[in-house]
Amino acid sequence: MAKHHPSNDLLMEHAAGSLPVAQAACVAAHLSYCERCRRIDSQLRTLGGAMLERLEPVSVSEALLDNVLARLEDPAPLSYSDQTKGTELPGLLERLINKDFSQLVWKRVTRALSVSYLSTGDTNHEFALLRIAEGGRIPEHTHGGNEMTLVLEGGFSDGRDSYHPGDFIFRSSEDKHAPVALDGEDCICLTVLDAPLRFTSWQHRWLNPFLKLRAS
Amino acid sequence: MAAASCMLNVEISQVLRCGMVEVKNDGEADSGRGSGKWTVPTGRRTDEWSECLVLIGKSNDRASFTRFFRHFAPLIKAFALAGSSMSAAHADELVQEVMLKVWQKASGFNPEKAAASTWIYTIARNCRTDMFRRLQKFDTPLAADDLNIELEGEEPFTVLHTRRGSDRIKDLMGQLPPDQAQILAKVYMEGKSHSEAAAELDLPLGTVKSRVRLAIQKLQVQMDRQ
Repeated sequence: MAKHHPSNDLLMEHAAGSLPVAQAACVAAHLSYCERCRRIDSQLRTLGGAMLERLEPVSVSEALLDNVLARLEDPAPLSYSDQTKGTELPGLLERLINKDFSQLVWKRVTRALSVSYLSTGDTNHEFALLRIAEGGRIPEHTHGGNEMTLVLEGGFSDGRDSYHPGDFIFRSSEDKHAPVALDGEDCICLTVLDAPLRFTSWQHRWLNPFLKLRAS
Repeated sequence: MAAASCMLNVEISQVLRCGMVEVKNDGEADSGRGSGKWTVPTGRRTDEWSECLVLIGKSNDRASFTRFFRHFAPLIKAFALAGSSMSAAHADELVQEVMLKVWQKASGFNPEKAAASTWIYTIARNCRTDMFRRLQKFDTPLAADDLNIELEGEEPFTVLHTRRGSDRIKDLMGQLPPDQAQILAKVYMEGKSHSEAAAELDLPLGTVKSRVRLAIQKLQVQMDRQ
């Protein structure tokens, strides 16, 4: 059961449909792990429904109704939305990665860290999977912007707490952290960035000019 | 702070009490479904539009669909036009899309899980998001529907609360102070982020967030019960 959740603000923006697609996908992936947040999301959508019912109606022509009635027997478009819940990989991620982490192209950043970039169509947000070798450390870094992280496999610790599958972590630009993967298995996380990360330690600072946002 | 936690306690005990009654009612509802008709268990407020959706889903009832259309289509159109630059023609297109989805998905509607308004809001929100992306030629492999994670059937406690919550939220909505109602409308009906709402209303982001928080408290939406 997830212990770290998106803020209420984020959950509301998700329920209202106003998050950019990469961030929405990360929050949705958390929801598929987390009953608590599904419950809140459902209440927030209930609020949306109540607001919809209080809108001032705008008249719709009879022709539109006729049009819709005439199209009722059209075949329904195919839908993919059979989401998996629980500990399995969220269905929406399976669609993005074609089922299997092993099929992905991993780029090595440091000895302990590899990255695989996924495309969500959102060019303002990098949407990537990180693989941290078990026990491996990501050098201390900050971000020019915000970072969402969702643990998918394994786990990591950042000195403050440890994080396990389903846990959602939001870090703003001021947060400095150096995550260390827990022992036992590689840690795979989904991260959504709106600015590239910046290593802060002198040993790794030379990498910074090479760190660009890969958003597609 | 003390007032908030007090409200929360009352809330939880209400849910607990309702929960006990509900177990029996659910049994009745099930037997009702088994015999081919959906009955509204006693002690619940009847939701005309939920019944309507059930009829559409069960028997492809066009008369019910027409009734549902006449009520919701003008609201969906208002939703489409709220705060956006969507043309009237696109708003009509959105109404058609949403209503066709209603017809196609009605058999999956479960009145035990959600109010009709919550269900159709979710469809309308997703269709609107997809339509905006289409209009902006924004290409993504993820449809808004893919990012909608529904409550599970095995969460009856939650679900019950959600459904009852709908009536209560509707009642309480009318009592919100205008400044809070305005921000919720920006966020939900116009699809603005909190910072966009702040910019448009020329308010600090912190003010927007605290108004949202106050509104949520007044509406007794339970954001956190950890």
